[in-house]
Amino acid sequence: MTDGQPRTGDATGVIPLRRWKIEKRPDVGAWLQFLAILLALAAAFIVSAALITIAGADVGKAALAAFKGAFGSLKSFAETLLQSTPILLTGLAVTVAFRARLFNIGAEGQFLAGAMGAVWVSLAFGDALPSGLLIPLTMLGALATGGLWGGIPGLLRARYGTSEIIVTVMMNFVIYFLLAFLLGDVWRDPSSFFLQTPRMPEAAHLPKLIAGTRLHLGFIVALAAAALVYVLLWRTALGYEIRAVGINATAATYKGIDVAKITVLVMALSGAIAGLSGAIEIPGLHQRLTLDTSTGVGFTGIIIAMLGRLHPLGVVLAAFFFGASVTGTSAMQIATGVPVAINQAIQGIILIFLLITDVLVRYRLRRIEVHV
Amino acid sequence: MSELWDVAFIASLLAGMVRLATPILLAALGELITERAGILNLGVEGMMLTGALVGFLVAYGTGSLWLGTAAAVLCGGLLGLLMAFMAATLKVDQILVGLALNLLALGSTTFAYRLAFKDVGTQNPTTISTFGTVKVPGLADIPLLGEVLFSQHALTYLALLVVPAAYFFLYHTKYGLELRGIGDNPRAVDMRGVAYTRRQYAAVAFGGMMAGLGGAFLTLAASGLFVPDISAGRGWIAIALVIFGNWQPVWIMFGALFFGLIDSFQLSLQAVGVDVPHELLLGLPYLLTIVALVLNRRRTQMPLSLGIPYYRESR
Repeated sequence: MTDGQPRTGDATGVIPLRRWKIEKRPDVGAWLQFLAILLALAAAFIVSAALITIAGADVGKAALAAFKGAFGSLKSFAETLLQSTPILLTGLAVTVAFRARLFNIGAEGQFLAGAMGAVWVSLAFGDALPSGLLIPLTMLGALATGGLWGGIPGLLRARYGTSEIIVTVMMNFVIYFLLAFLLGDVWRDPSSFFLQTPRMPEAAHLPKLIAGTRLHLGFIVALAAAALVYVLLWRTALGYEIRAVGINATAATYKGIDVAKITVLVMALSGAIAGLSGAIEIPGLHQRLTLDTSTGVGFTGIIIAMLGRLHPLGVVLAAFFFGASVTGTSAMQIATGVPVAINQAIQGIILIFLLITDVLVRYRLRRIEVHV
Repeated sequence: MSELWDVAFIASLLAGMVRLATPILLAALGELITERAGILNLGVEGMMLTGALVGFLVAYGTGSLWLGTAAAVLCGGLLGLLMAFMAATLKVDQILVGLALNLLALGSTTFAYRLAFKDVGTQNPTTISTFGTVKVPGLADIPLLGEVLFSQHALTYLALLVVPAAYFFLYHTKYGLELRGIGDNPRAVDMRGVAYTRRQYAAVAFGGMMAGLGGAFLTLAASGLFVPDISAGRGWIAIALVIFGNWQPVWIMFGALFFGLIDSFQLSLQAVGVDVPHELLLGLPYLLTIVALVLNRRRTQMPLSLGIPYYRESR
């Protein structure tokens, strides 16, 4: 901005004017990206405090209750880890897809597809197989169904150029209504009034990690998946190709990368990871399918992936944070009556603020000399 | 089953079709204008939900259904402005903004409703009296057609009137031409000196207002009560409709009527105790949208720059 009032010069004729200028940074370093996250979280905390006040509760008391609820004891800490498990996996699923610039909005549906695959396997083979075989088999089933549900949008995009965004969104609903149909029909537990499948056989349940808590083996599987996603993306040739397609698909084509193949592969892989999330949440926690099986874990996964900067380590941290926020807010509701729905509102707010602060840190304010 | 298909049944089936098409048609026409300006707003669901709650709260508080409707439109418009600010000014990823708005709306409406009423999850939620149907004098007495088309809610007539209005605006006015230009080729429009950002703000705000209106229809005309997540995917149906109708107002209306017919069909058959796989029928619109997307790909009217931010400085 050089449109300041020019002053007439003295003997030399030139007086440097100093003004502030907003300019784009040549590059945004890692610490600035981290700062953007901190700013977004700080803003979200302020909004949370405002919402808690509106709800008529004392902010300090509510925060203490939330903190205790999330970390106060071994049991509550285990519950936090438990809550972070499914969203860690959906976050990883979204990460893999977004790294290839494929907008998989369908982790929600792929989660359900995976859960359905796992339940089907366990109901079909539950009596015949021991736990050590049945559990891996349910997970394989979920990888297949989730992979199929993610692979179809990938295939349609590669073959017909249709938007994977729209197709994945639509497929979320298709699988939901398919599940609703099955629950009212062949999958219905005849002994129950509710729309739900029979309980999964004992052998398919995931073993608990800590006695007296609900934390199960799925947490370890999710952590292992995070490590595997890291290795895949940064230590293999395929991962290099995935990231190359994400940075510039045209350039990747010139390098001889088969973008269509990567598209299908990445979407199927992303769907498979989201499906695995379903194969962990159901056998680990609910042990049966209902229509309320998914509580928006696919959409939360998108926020976690963004907050984690599309990096597995960041995704682990973000999932842990959101897991704590789930257990924290339910403890807060019990202690202070602040509705637990605050959790979803804050998730949305965090993402909006993160998008804003990401733009903010791209600019800097600098004092420059203007020569007139 | 054959004795079911008498005139009264068909009339109620078709009247239900038009009624059920109303909220999704309102929201879809708003989304059409939004997308024609090059902005893909995935936050329709959240805007509808917000309109549904705000309309309900204001109507409950003031006793005026029309004030509630106005408040719903206003709040939808404000959310639209937020979306426009993020998409057109900050140029952040539109997909993510839309999803964030949905989560924010789902959380905050449930939060607000629970604070305002303590009856969430109980058997008797708070209800208000709804808009009545408006019989068009003379026309309402026509057999069949009168019941189907001319004994509907005022907002239904409005939705049906917006269809030709949107068509006329898009294809027969200078502003409509410019708006379509922004969606297809913002650089060309920019070079003609058109204030494209302002147009985008107006388009997205209009989309939000229509979504808010669609939401208000749910609480103030269709049901008279609010339950958390009452929009139940209708915002996504609206987005699907824009695709299904190939970004053209008249086809979007036919799509809305078709989706409304499916909904009315399964409700009518359930009401008379006929066992239909109604879940599969409800899932059909989403599946058909994918099919339409694939089949229409060669003659798609999708705005060419849909979802892609335009930077004046870079090429």
